[in-house]
Amino acid sequence: MMNVYYLTFRSVTPAQRGENLLRKMGFRCVLQRTPRWMEEKGCGYCLRLPTDRIREAAGVLQRAGIPYRKVYLLNEGGDTEEISL
Amino acid sequence: MIYLDNGATSFHKPPQVRRAVLRAMDRCANPGRGGYGAAMEAAKTVLRCRERAGVLFDCEPEQVVLTSNCTHGLNIAIRTLVKPGSRVVISGFEHNAVTRPLYGLGARVTVAGRKLFDWEDTLSEFEKALKAGAEAAVFTHVSNVFGYILPVEEMAALCRQRGIPFIVDAAQSAGALPVSLKKLGADFIAMPGHKGLLGPQGTGLLLCGKLPEPLLLGGTGSESVRQDMPDFTPDRAEAGTLNVPGIAGLEAGMAWLQRMGIERIGKRERQVAEKCAGELKNMGMQVYWGPHQGGTVSFRPGCDCEEGARMLAEQGIAVRAGLHCAPLAHESAGTLDTGTVRISFGHDADFSRIPVLLRAVSKLPVPEL
Repeated sequence: MMNVYYLTFRSVTPAQRGENLLRKMGFRCVLQRTPRWMEEKGCGYCLRLPTDRIREAAGVLQRAGIPYRKVYLLNEGGDTEEISL
Repeated sequence: MIYLDNGATSFHKPPQVRRAVLRAMDRCANPGRGGYGAAMEAAKTVLRCRERAGVLFDCEPEQVVLTSNCTHGLNIAIRTLVKPGSRVVISGFEHNAVTRPLYGLGARVTVAGRKLFDWEDTLSEFEKALKAGAEAAVFTHVSNVFGYILPVEEMAALCRQRGIPFIVDAAQSAGALPVSLKKLGADFIAMPGHKGLLGPQGTGLLLCGKLPEPLLLGGTGSESVRQDMPDFTPDRAEAGTLNVPGIAGLEAGMAWLQRMGIERIGKRERQVAEKCAGELKNMGMQVYWGPHQGGTVSFRPGCDCEEGARMLAEQGIAVRAGLHCAPLAHESAGTLDTGTVRISFGHDADFSRIPVLLRAVSKLPVPEL
């Protein structure tokens, strides 16, 4: 079963650009509001990615100069934890 | 009506613009605020506009701040670079959208280069003024009164060589001449959305080469916990709800321009303007025409300019007369006391309109020269 990750962004513009780019690169992702507890500064957008290639996805964004903030993993127990890549 | 006031705003815009405005009104809620369909549709519409502008003006979508007009963008840019007492160099052809914010801030302004259509004078005076000391420079790409295309690439290079931050006012050039944020290396380039870019009124773009200081403070849909504005573009300079229908129309206008080709449109505007200027001269009007001219021609008839424009309006010709919110440009050209009648061509410039225009102008008295 594929892991599910959340990549958070500071605002809607980089999140949208990230979504467009990752889809072009063959990743399935959904743009949504960031859950309040994930974003300490309040109000933001994130991408929900079911993938086994999270490092590759993060690299794609970094190379394109699209800054993401944090990466979270939705684990099998249904809990979400921050991870570093 | 024959519309020849594109320097004020473009009219008879491509039908795609109207359709995009209506579509956005039907489908878009507030962008960057919610996660439901209509909010995300609005966010997509806004991003398309930023991306389109990024392609046309050679910058990243995040560098595109959406404003309500060119004046709005210029005010943000000027307030970022200029503080009370700052020494600022401007050209002799600036609009009040530049001079009023500068004087309002208490800047010490040096006007450099006042000879119309004379690149040598513009550049040598500009360089001299920069050498004398400046903390910022602001210059227009094209004079809104006379259509004079200033040597902005060279002026930009002079600023860059001395490390002087600068702002370009592209009010009359965006949509008619190539404009590149990257190539100019400008700190800011401001432009309206409703003139050459063919968007609705109430739209504009500010291309940011550096982080702007916000003119308005408020909600941005991002980093809501902090009580200062976000420290990134475009959010930092976009407090409050955006004009999404206008932005949708602006994107459609820019898409139309991209298909038609900005250089092709600008070239045609200049060719029609040149033909028009020649014919007006032949009629004995005092015409302000020279090398480095865009799609705008100013002239003086043998009567008050406002009266001349009124007489033309009665014959179905829409032009603008007076000082065109640019007294400095008129002072430079020696027309401050009289003003001029301005004919400004746009995306629909057409040689076939010139005979009709000339028939109307022929009823105006000729000046005694």
